[in-house]
Amino acid sequence: MSLFTPRRIGQMSPGGSLITYLLLLAWAAFVIFPIYWLVITSFKSISDVNAGPVYLPFIDFQPSLHAWKDLLIEDWDDTRRAYVNSIIIALCSTGLSVLVGSMAAYALVRVTYAPRFSTILLFVLSLGGALAASLAYGVDWRLAGAVAVAIFVLAVRGLGNRFAATLGNGDILFWMISQRILAPVVVVVPIYMMFQSVGLLDTRTAIIVTYAVINLPIVVWLMFDFFNSIPRDLEESAQLDGATMFTVFREVVLPLSKPGLAATTLLVMILAWNEYLLALFLSTADAQTMPILVAAMNAGERGILWWTMSAVIVVMILPVLVLAIVLQRFISKGILVGAVKG
Amino acid sequence: MMEAKRVEIRSMDKHYGAFHAVKDLTLTVEPGEFLVLLGPSGCGKSTALRMIAGLEEITGGALILGGRDVTHVLPKYRDIAMVFQSYALYPHKTVAENIGFPLKIAGASVADQQAAVLDAATQVHLEQLLDRYPRELSGGQRQRVALARAIIRRPALFLMDEPLSNLDAKLRGAMRAELKRMQKDLGVTTIYVTHDQIEAMTLAHRVAIMRDGVLQQLGTPKEVYRDPANIFVAGFMGSPPMNFVTGTALRQAIRVGDHDVPLAGLSVRDGREISVGFRPEDAALCDPAEATLTAEVFIAEMTGDETLVTLVGPHEDHLIVRADPDLQIDDGERVGIRVDPDRRYYFDAETGARLRPDGTG
Repeated sequence: MSLFTPRRIGQMSPGGSLITYLLLLAWAAFVIFPIYWLVITSFKSISDVNAGPVYLPFIDFQPSLHAWKDLLIEDWDDTRRAYVNSIIIALCSTGLSVLVGSMAAYALVRVTYAPRFSTILLFVLSLGGALAASLAYGVDWRLAGAVAVAIFVLAVRGLGNRFAATLGNGDILFWMISQRILAPVVVVVPIYMMFQSVGLLDTRTAIIVTYAVINLPIVVWLMFDFFNSIPRDLEESAQLDGATMFTVFREVVLPLSKPGLAATTLLVMILAWNEYLLALFLSTADAQTMPILVAAMNAGERGILWWTMSAVIVVMILPVLVLAIVLQRFISKGILVGAVKG
Repeated sequence: MMEAKRVEIRSMDKHYGAFHAVKDLTLTVEPGEFLVLLGPSGCGKSTALRMIAGLEEITGGALILGGRDVTHVLPKYRDIAMVFQSYALYPHKTVAENIGFPLKIAGASVADQQAAVLDAATQVHLEQLLDRYPRELSGGQRQRVALARAIIRRPALFLMDEPLSNLDAKLRGAMRAELKRMQKDLGVTTIYVTHDQIEAMTLAHRVAIMRDGVLQQLGTPKEVYRDPANIFVAGFMGSPPMNFVTGTALRQAIRVGDHDVPLAGLSVRDGREISVGFRPEDAALCDPAEATLTAEVFIAEMTGDETLVTLVGPHEDHLIVRADPDLQIDDGERVGIRVDPDRRYYFDAETGARLRPDGTG
């Protein structure tokens, strides 16, 4: 029993419900106003925007389609290219990171890993040694790699059980999440150089791979918690009933994870959709995404093109809105009710 | 009905790192037998059950099921059905889908599945609820779904991990009776884990009592109740539990308060600490002059068909004696307790080992 049980609106006195509705309306107006402003600005003429605030179409000002004409007819090629890029990049990178990340999260929940600290250290040392040998001393990278692998294998076997300190699943999880603690701006130059050296600059592939990697920790983190909340009894029961690990995943884990997957997908997709900094570095023209296009409206000789920018942003938020509505019905609580206990 | 299988557990061990959860467990469950693993929480009984199921690795010894060594066989190939304490129903599946899941996995035809589901559901009186989801069922109904899912496949072995512990007391009693009847009718070998000694006594053909990972005693409910192997088993079985008074042995008797309790037929060296145990129903209140022990009445509780008298014994410990429901007695009254000489149990107070008249003291 809670100390204070709020009454439902239907049970309130007329005055009480009036005040409640007014407060809710005020809050809704506050939240929706920026979107409303965006939409009407896209229909304003240049002089209406510059002359000062006008609020109501057909009353305050006469709507004009000039910004939409710029966007959809005159600059159609640019708009379409950025739009298609954004959609493909967001879908592919999200799909990739959710697929890989949820598998990693499930493994971290259900399989106990105990990598030796000494093994990890040796791996890093041999890798570093191979890189240093081939980069600084001009050793053929195939030779350096083979020697490094040999040294690693021999050293691991030679150490045996001497250094038994191991890391656990919690350490692995923290290591993954820690990748996200670093500000992306720190790694943006190395990432740029990496794609430059493999000739993938200004391609969707480069951006998809980058986004999938930077969003992976978030997927692992969210899905780890979600898989962890599924009672182990359910999976064990299915195992005893004759299910293989894959059948358990398909018949039990996956259906119960829908809310978590939906929420994670939505979040990661929005992150990919809005990402600016890495896209700015990795694309110049062909792979430009919507945020870059929006930002470009701010950089022309004609000053800030508020009207066109508003139109672009309206177009940009539409898919996210649709996605949120589609996924919303999965993101409901209580799906596990009745699984265990009475 | 399929033929019931024998389960042989040979020197089974479970180590979790340095922790030894199950120690050298050896026991055989006969075909069709209802065996209960009983013990306090943390005694290793659930771990032992999970090892038999294949959910925990067996780190030593062997498990033979129906003549087949399944020590390192995956759970799904062991032909075992388990009822979990939590029931483990699939929340996204209906009652019918839950019950039919083992058959669906086995690849049975839809028609066969439906017939079997209806049959199993009828046995546990769920045929009206097949389209419901687990969240729409009461605790007792969820329990029945779990049972139906276990029986539908006609497995070689049933495992049950405290299946009744989430039910309220009244329902628990009713389900206990149904469970016993169902196991009898199906004739499937069953291993049942509980910490509730009443459940163990009423359900089991034989009870295996465990403590700290070690099997203490294996026997019929009557044997473990009437002939406990040590002080732990003696104190664990029975409600209210066995009473113990402890004293130092001197000239073939132990001194307890003002009384000498004779050590009938036992040869015990003087100075050894001995516990004498007796059950509440094997003692009677009497005049202090002709008593085995004297004690002070702490409280008397009338339960309907009897009165349980709690007394404060010579060492300030509580002793319970069953008495007539019409007994009138005052708190604080000094009374005598006469213990049936044939129903006294002697234990070494240090090791807890049972001392038998013909044994060595």
